[in-house]
Amino acid sequence: MSIQKSWSELLTMARACRIVVETLDLLEAAAQPGVTTKELDRVAREAIEKAGARPAFLGYRDYPATLCISVNEEIVHGIPGPKKLQDGDIVGLDLGCIVDGFYGDAARTVAVGRASAEAERLMKVTREALFAGIEMCHPGKRVGDIGHAVQVHAESFGYSVVKDFVGHGIGTSLHEEPQVPNYGPAGRRERLVPGMCLAIEPMVNVGRPEVEVLADGWTAVTRDGSLSAHFELSVAVTEFGPWILSDPYPYAREEVANA
Amino acid sequence: MPEAAGRPPEEEADATVREALPNALYRVELASGSKGVVVAHVAGDSSLLRLRPGDPVVVELAAYDAGRGRIVRRR
Repeated sequence: MSIQKSWSELLTMARACRIVVETLDLLEAAAQPGVTTKELDRVAREAIEKAGARPAFLGYRDYPATLCISVNEEIVHGIPGPKKLQDGDIVGLDLGCIVDGFYGDAARTVAVGRASAEAERLMKVTREALFAGIEMCHPGKRVGDIGHAVQVHAESFGYSVVKDFVGHGIGTSLHEEPQVPNYGPAGRRERLVPGMCLAIEPMVNVGRPEVEVLADGWTAVTRDGSLSAHFELSVAVTEFGPWILSDPYPYAREEVANA
Repeated sequence: MPEAAGRPPEEEADATVREALPNALYRVELASGSKGVVVAHVAGDSSLLRLRPGDPVVVELAAYDAGRGRIVRRR
């Protein structure tokens, strides 16, 4: 079971998540044809440090950058480099930061210039799958319910979900218990309790789900070379349901007093 | 940033067999010394049949119990 966070700890998590999402907004605007992935990494690092936070990925298991940037058939963990973005690419931006010892983690996939209809549909379905998972974050539900909702949604469009990487609990470290797979039967795995924080992150492929990790030890690509999209948000389970930590607390003031 | 699915790999250590116990268990002594002696079972490889005292092996240490491990291969 994941560590339950107090109300004040959740507020700190929310600050971290807010900084991550605001930085992602910047990056989304900056992801234009001709920009290198290294350049986006620099933008991310400067924005996070300007906001008074620290990059969470830099140095994590020797990861060399602030941002994970995964282009087209790259699923996740792409390392920024001299590669230039091209019109029609879809780019996964995954970012984390640390505020007062607490981690925020979020990701989204964006189109550079004009993406194909297939790519747009993939991104839409992956995002919907993320929200289908978030919808499950009520006390008494189980971690398996999240993965089941994600898988059912993605596969109903003929896509596949990646099984070799999973979402995770988040808090005072980047990866905490429990693991949150994006697949599997409903009603299994850990029970959700208020105060749990989970990073839910469906990775959806147009083709088959198999993954290959490149020689750099990080970059994960689809083995069949098909397009892949990735969306992630950090979510707290509350008495009243899911709180997407980068959003304002969604429940009424009277409820806060009891939370 | 997604996490790799499944359990993280166990910590491995060099060791030497000290004593054969019943049920394919062995008492092994870790080369690093500090953790001393652990009871280890063998990990299904036929080259690990008939281990004798003094044989050099590699053990995976159990995360949950400092006194237990599994012999994964000869060294």
